[in-house]
Amino acid sequence: MLSYIIRRILLMFPTLIGMTFIIFAVIRMAPGLTTAGGSFAPGMLGAHQAQLAQQHFMERRLHLVTRNGKPIPLVVQYVQWINRIIHGDLGTSIKFSEPVTKLVLQRLPVTLVINVISLIIIYLVAVPGGVLAAIYRGRFVDRAFGISSLVLYSLPVIWVGSMAIGFLANPAYLNWFPSAGLHATNTSHMSYFQYVFDYAWHITLPVICLSYGGFAYLAKQVRGSYLENMFMDFTRTAKAKGLPPSAVLLRHVTQNSMLPMITIVGMTVPGLLGGSVIVEKIFSIQGMGRLMYQATYARDLPVIQSMALVSAAITLASYLLVDIAYHAIDPRVNYD
Amino acid sequence: MTELSAHPAIETPSTAPPASYWTLAIRKMLRPWLVKIFAAYIAAVLLISLTVPLLASGKPYAIDIHTGNGWVTRYPLFADLTTRDYLTFIAGAVIIGIVVAWRLTRVVEMMRRRSLRLGIAGVLIGAGILGGSALAILHHNRFDGTDYRALIKSGMAKNAIFAPIPWGYAEMEPLSKNAINELPSWHHWLGTDRSGRDVLARMLWASRVAMGIGFVSQAIALSLGIIVGAMMGYFGGIFDLLGMRLVEMVEAIPTFFLILTFIAIFGRSILMIMVILGVTGWTGYARFLRAEFLRIRQLDYIVAARATGMPLWRIMFRHMLPNGLTPVLVSASFGLAGAVTIESSLSYLGIGVRPPTPSWGGMLNAAGNPATVFHWFEALPPGLALFLIVLAFNIVGEALRDAIDPKSLS
Repeated sequence: MLSYIIRRILLMFPTLIGMTFIIFAVIRMAPGLTTAGGSFAPGMLGAHQAQLAQQHFMERRLHLVTRNGKPIPLVVQYVQWINRIIHGDLGTSIKFSEPVTKLVLQRLPVTLVINVISLIIIYLVAVPGGVLAAIYRGRFVDRAFGISSLVLYSLPVIWVGSMAIGFLANPAYLNWFPSAGLHATNTSHMSYFQYVFDYAWHITLPVICLSYGGFAYLAKQVRGSYLENMFMDFTRTAKAKGLPPSAVLLRHVTQNSMLPMITIVGMTVPGLLGGSVIVEKIFSIQGMGRLMYQATYARDLPVIQSMALVSAAITLASYLLVDIAYHAIDPRVNYD
Repeated sequence: MTELSAHPAIETPSTAPPASYWTLAIRKMLRPWLVKIFAAYIAAVLLISLTVPLLASGKPYAIDIHTGNGWVTRYPLFADLTTRDYLTFIAGAVIIGIVVAWRLTRVVEMMRRRSLRLGIAGVLIGAGILGGSALAILHHNRFDGTDYRALIKSGMAKNAIFAPIPWGYAEMEPLSKNAINELPSWHHWLGTDRSGRDVLARMLWASRVAMGIGFVSQAIALSLGIIVGAMMGYFGGIFDLLGMRLVEMVEAIPTFFLILTFIAIFGRSILMIMVILGVTGWTGYARFLRAEFLRIRQLDYIVAARATGMPLWRIMFRHMLPNGLTPVLVSASFGLAGAVTIESSLSYLGIGVRPPTPSWGGMLNAAGNPATVFHWFEALPPGLALFLIVLAFNIVGEALRDAIDPKSLS
């Protein structure tokens, strides 16, 4: 087991290195990085502020690619960049004038919490739904669940999110939920339970928006793998020897249907991370997605390349966990 | 004997060729009424997006204007169309013409000839290219700022024939009328937005952005995916190894992050967004086609084709591709849904299509800050349109997948 994990981690490195190549190449293709008169997207700044920001931006940018007035060769730039990453230095944000590492460490937990909760909710809804659909295949439950999850999957988050805020978090209609942020402003006066309640109250709408689209795919896979295993020989044997149907389903079918369910964790993570850009923008949550959005808006290249790298590392880590879980559950799986 | 003659196919041998695999698959896909409705909806939105300059415009088709020489008939809408509008019409007409000709050469017995089919397609494309380039050289875009409604009111013009929706996408009601954020009325069927522009006209124009970006970006992604996937699947070996690593690397970066990275670097004109969505969306297609090619490569007819010394491109693209394209096209339907969603999300975030070009996402954003002043009647139409088109692509994709699934019955 341990040797497998080590081998699997070592196999991850070529992919990771290749990815740094891609990210580096794409970022260096940016027009105006080394020449004067690049375009700093002013966003919501005033004229004077924008001018200052432009000046600041140019200085920082030149600092990135030249030393003593001479351009640094690309190879050296790449090696320097990798070296800095290894030492935990992801560069300095142009927009926030802060180390990117600090920004990422601030915002990563927020996004991770929301995403993990959403993932749990997706599984809690989609797995029972898929199992029910498999049991009642072709009947009303199956079709209703299939169609409703497809409809949910097709609902655009931007619409649902703004409608949810507009009606459920707007003083003009129902003011049930807060419309922005993760905390009330007076958290220091709260007891622990009040704090937890406040937190749960704040993340309800974002988590709903992040999770409802994920039901369809998982439920379909679960239904498929259950259907496949329900007609296998071992299931028939279990039934024939007189096991109650619930035992057949829970022990024999479920255990054999677990692998695809685990694979999908790995496939869902990139989608959730991408979706958090939109959800965090709509609900004004200071997470990774919002950082990515702000960086894109301001063309903050150090932040952008770090975010691409960090999100890719998270995705690879989730693939790794999936593979290890695979190996733990089904020892027959072998990657030699 | 009676048994035999009772069989119609034997009594009167039909000369109609057996329906092709694709005809069968599409026929089977369209069998449920729900799928029929949504397929028709996609066709309708496509048609609207192609013809929208004629459907929603502030300029009249024809109008009599009083000049120094008396009454003169003018055609402001047609004069106002840009070169790009005309090129879109020509491209649409060529595509529709080819589809109709394809269908005719299959159905009408006298025309059932491959050379005829290719000939018609060639003539249409040639005419399209010639006409398009002639137009691009001869036609000049001009800006017509005349307010024809005011002209009519002042009596300087009469007999105006307006488009069904007589508003352009950027045409604002005059400030003096204070017609911003209006509820739906007889005058503006879906109300007006925060700048006093007609919401319905903007909705229709936005369908053009959505469909254009969706189809063009997925065409780019499909071509990339087919080329890379075919190379990986056919040649195998080092191509396969390196190609799959590339696919894995691109897939490991969350798509939306990758798209934002590209947008931050290369800007966000409509053309650039199409290219970016195409360049980031090809991996799924490549994966599917690779798997199919790995399977087909070993089949007898490919071995035979190779043994006869057929050129490589002919083996790959005429013999293997049509047989391996099915799963790719299914995922293309979902890819279209994804591209439309991503485009609207980008526009909603303010990093997509630039205003005043309307996009459903941008219109959602323009409906106001939902937490304070929220004009839900402006957020409803674009959201609904977006939802319906995405649902339509997804349902058609599901139906197509079921139709070609060998495990499904009949």
